[in-house]
Parts: sequence; structure tokens; C-alpha cells
Amino acid sequence: MSRAANALVWPAGPVPAGVPLIRLTAIHKWFGNLHVLKGIDLDLSPGHVLVVIGTSGSGKSTLLRCIDMLEEPTSGHVWFKGRDITDVRVNLNDVRTHMGIVFQAFNLFPHKTALGNITLALEKVLHMPRDQARERAMAELEHVGLGQKAHSHPGQLSGGQQQRVAIARALAMRPDLILFDEVTSALDPKLVAEVLAVMQRLASEGTTMVVVTHEMGFAREVGTHLVFMDEGVIVEQGEPKAVFDNPQDERTRRFLSSVL
Amino acid sequence: MNRIPAPHPIREIAALREKSRPLGVVSAAVGGLALAVVLGGITFVFAKYGIRREDRIAAALQSRELFTILVSGGLLGAGAAALGFGTYRRMPTRVSREEAIAGAVLGLQAAICGLALLWFIQGDMERFARNFLSFEQIVPQYGAFLNGARNTLVLAGAGEFFGVILGLVLSVFTISKRAAVRAPVRVYINLFRGTPLLLQLSLIYFGLALGLGVNMSAYTAAILAFSLNTGAYSAEVFRAGIQSIERSQMEAARGLGLGYMQSMRYVIVPQAVRRVIPPLMNEFVILIKDTSLIAFLGLSYAQRDLFTVGSQGYSQFFNATFYVASGLGYLVVTLPLIRLVTWVEKRLRSDLVGAGV
Ligand SMILES: Nc1ncnc2c1ncn2[C@@H]1O[C@H](COP(=O)(O)OP(=O)(O)OP(=O)(O)O)[C@@H](O)[C@H]1O
Ligand SMILES: [Mg+2]
Repeated sequence: MSRAANALVWPAGPVPAGVPLIRLTAIHKWFGNLHVLKGIDLDLSPGHVLVVIGTSGSGKSTLLRCIDMLEEPTSGHVWFKGRDITDVRVNLNDVRTHMGIVFQAFNLFPHKTALGNITLALEKVLHMPRDQARERAMAELEHVGLGQKAHSHPGQLSGGQQQRVAIARALAMRPDLILFDEVTSALDPKLVAEVLAVMQRLASEGTTMVVVTHEMGFAREVGTHLVFMDEGVIVEQGEPKAVFDNPQDERTRRFLSSVL
Repeated sequence: MNRIPAPHPIREIAALREKSRPLGVVSAAVGGLALAVVLGGITFVFAKYGIRREDRIAAALQSRELFTILVSGGLLGAGAAALGFGTYRRMPTRVSREEAIAGAVLGLQAAICGLALLWFIQGDMERFARNFLSFEQIVPQYGAFLNGARNTLVLAGAGEFFGVILGLVLSVFTISKRAAVRAPVRVYINLFRGTPLLLQLSLIYFGLALGLGVNMSAYTAAILAFSLNTGAYSAEVFRAGIQSIERSQMEAARGLGLGYMQSMRYVIVPQAVRRVIPPLMNEFVILIKDTSLIAFLGLSYAQRDLFTVGSQGYSQFFNATFYVASGLGYLVVTLPLIRLVTWVEKRLRSDLVGAGV
């Protein structure tokens, strides 16, 4: 099969009708004796912004990492565009090509420039010609307002700039979905705004996102769906404003009053 | 001394300290002078007598000039040491304190050098010069030493080159999460790290080449042994380097869809390599010296390494100057390399700081 034809085959191609982009069913995760995720079920449709909030250690990061299988669930299934990616026969590299993840600590490659950080996967995973990869990488850097920093190394950038490069790196792959794990938590308050602004624009452009965050303002304004986690379970979920203004569960109420 | 001293007004102590301040400069100057007298004096005496002929060297060592120089330098040094160590505690400023300590240390070095040499030249200097410093006999062998140095570098260079490549490949196996993949590599590494290089060299040459009739010269066998041995050591160096890269780097790479081997190749290894360059260079310096073990294999005339040239010269002429010359030859090769390691370490450190690691 040619590459062009391949582009239409799962995990590429559109989301089949009547199927969510991501579906989690009965996800459990154990780290040794530690039961971190205790049966998570979740659906995510294209174009939605799912915000995950919860206490520290409640399993938010673990859940996010299970979605792109950086962490393998101990039991349960993760479905991507209608197929179970916990199946060992699935090529996870192909699946991850269609999902981006952005980390709290940026995790840029320190030996590469901002541009090189972005072109690496374009060239080695998408097999783009070098010129085309550089062109797209430049466009993505411009998109996050860092065109003039293309040839800087991560060590020469501020935290906010590094995080925007990391977002550009994920975006450049044109993923169906981007996962954000507390991407502003390591930043000075002054730098948080510039990163949130980028994310807000992505949301308004219809990018599908899962956002683990402690930024309650962002969760409320930008999220289309909100999940509150505590001790490995989803305690409460719903439309963000509804949950914020009228929390049903006692634990949610306590958490919200502690952070707002 | 349980008696409590009468309390001094602080001003008086300060005045006392202020008075001892010039002593720092004095001890630094005297200590420096002492060392200059000893080292400069030795140079001067040899320059005067010449070092081309052994009898001139012997004469220099036994000369009145050298004796006088060593005695006066040694005494000066002892004086500086006494002054510096005696006063550095009550120096009023950091600078004068450092001056006193520097003077004391320099003086001590001058005194020790002077005394040691004084003791040494009481011996039979004619015999010493004839046996160890007979450079006339070395000069005609210049070509052989040069060739020896070249062979040493070729042996070490080839061994290091193939060894590093082997080590990089092996290291990737040693960090596999599958025990079945790790085990054989661990066995290999531990065998080569746990036995003497000389034994490996002998087994490969006498066992393989002579015993089993594998067609291999001693030279080739040696390069093979050095490569296999270096492979085992550098595998451990690479493993440590790779494991020192944060796990999050691998996750970021995998998160972009890169495969495990791609992530290794484009993300982890390039960073690890920078961190392991200094230890690998140190391994190279060690290997340069270890190539001397090839002497046990018996080499053709043109294949001789630095050590073999020296030791065969010794057996032929019964003169240890050949060993001295061979030692100097190693230093000519290794000292610049050692400097280079230090320089590279500094460079890499500042690079990494720049890269925010
Ligand atoms: N690789 C691991 N091995 C063992 N335990 C782990 C591992 N990763 C996470 N944990 C544990 O799992 C629990 C949940 O961790 P997780 O990082 O998912 O929490 P979180 O909700 O993201 O918290 P935070 O808000 O502090 O980031 C914690 O108790 C943590 O110590
Ligand atoms: Mg977390």
C-alpha cells in the first residue's frame, strides 16, 4: 500500500461516525502495591477540551499518560478512534504520532535548537523532507510567537518560551489530540499567562485537548468538560461552570474551596 | 593551658595582627625565591656542564655549585616554611593569610627537593649517570623510538576506536528491560573486566592464533584483545552515561512517536556521548600505557611499541637510559592528552550549563 493510501488507514484518517476519539473503559493502574487508578471510564469527542482537576497524587498525570500509553494500564482498555490500543499488536509509535503530549517540565531536547526539537519527529517519524520540515517547524514557532528564537537552544530560553516550543513541537505533528500535564506549574506567574494564551487560542481553533491543570480560571473558561479526580476515581464531572458553581459531591466542594 | 587569658581590648589584637601583615609577603617571597633557587640552580648547573655526555652529567651532579645551591635553597625554603606556618593564623586579611600559606608551601617544596637531592648526590653519581642518563646511546636509536611511539599510538588508537563502537552497542543491550538480552552481555563484560588484560592478550594470541591456527599476527591479535577489552569497559561508561540522562527525555521522544531505537539514536545517545567523552578519553590514556603488554607476544622489529623498543634496547646495551627514554616517550604522548581531557571537561561543563541541564 502506498503512503498516500496509508494516510487514510487507522490510526490516521477521520474518527468513525458514532465513535469517540478517545474512550477509556475500566482503567486500573497499580504501581506495585499502590492502587493509583481505580476504574476510570471516560469519553472524549473531537473538538472538546477536557479539563482534569484534583488533589495532588490523585492520579491525574497517570491517567493522562495512560491515554497515550506512556504508562500501560494494569487492566482496562484505551480506545483510539474505535480501536483498542492496549492490544499488544497495535503499533504504539503510529498511535502516538496522532497524539501530542506536553509535560510540566517541558522536556525539550537540550542538544537541539528550538527548530531542531520540532523537525526531529517531522523528519524521522513523518519522513518529511528536511526543507519541508523546517518550513513547518518555522510556521509552528511563529504560531506560538517564537519565530525569532528558532536557532536558540532550550538553555537560552525562558521557561515560558521553552514551554511554548514544547507546545509547537507537539502541534507540528498535526495530532488529533494534545495532552497537557500541568504545563504551567513550573513557570513563574508572569510566564503562565503567555502559555495559557497559546492554549486558549488552540482551544478556540477547535483543537481537541486533555488538560490537567491547577489554573481554575482556565478550567472554567476554556474547558468544555470538567473532571474532578480524588484518590484514583472520578468523583464528579460535567460542564465546567456547572461543577464550579454547583458542586454535588462533598469532596469536590472541599477541593474547590481550597483552591478558589 | 587552662588559665583564662586576661581579656585584650579588641583594638590591641587588631593592631598586633596589622603588624604581622607584611610577614605574609615576606614568607611568600622567600618561599618563592627558595624554590626558584633550587629549580633554577639545577637548570643552571646542567646548562653549564651540558647533558649530552654522561661524564658531564656526573660532574654536574657532583659539582660544588650544585651543592651550594641545594644547601642555600633548602635552608631558605625551611625558613620560609617556618615563617609562613608560624604566622598565617594571625594574619589580618585573607590575602596576607594566603600569602603566608603560599610561602610556607613553596618553601617546604624547596626544602624537600633540596634535601632529597643533597642526599641523592652522596651516591655514586658516575654509575648513576652512566646507567640512567646516557643519552648519547639513545640518540642513534631515535628512529626506533619514533617508530615505537607510532606503533603504540596505532595499537591504542585502533583498540579504542573499535572498543568504543563495540561498547556503545553493548551498552544498549545492558539497559534492556529483558533479562535474556542483558545476561549474555553482562557475562561478556564481567569476563573482560574480571580478568587481566595480559591474560586476554595471551589467550587470544597464543590460544587462537598459535593454538588453533587462526591466521593472525601478534599485532592483529593485540588490536583484537585491546578492542574487546575496551569494549567491555566503555560499555559500562556508556551505560552510566545513558542512565544519567533523565527518563523524561525518553518519554518526550516516545510521546512524539519516535521508536525506542530512534529515541536512543537521536535523543538519548547524543546527550550521553557528551557526558562520557572525558571518561572515555581517560580510558584511552590508560590503554596507551597498557599497550606495553604486547611486549609479551614477541614482535617483529618494525612492530615494536615504545616499551618494547626501550626494553630491547636495555637488554642489548645493558643501559637503563632506554627505559628512561621510553618513559619520556609515553609522557610526550599522554601529557597533552591529559591536558586535553581537562580542557574538554571544562568546555562540556560550560556547554551543559548553557543548555540548562
Ligand atoms: N512510576 C511510578 N512508580 C510508582 N509510583 C508512582 C509512579 N508514578 C506515580 N506514582 C504514584 O502514583 C500516585 C499518583 O501520581 P500522579 O503523578 O498520577 O498524581 P497527580 O494527580 O498527577 O499529582 P500532582 O498533582 O502532584 O501531579 C502518586 O502517589 C505517585 O507517587
Ligand atoms: Mg501530575
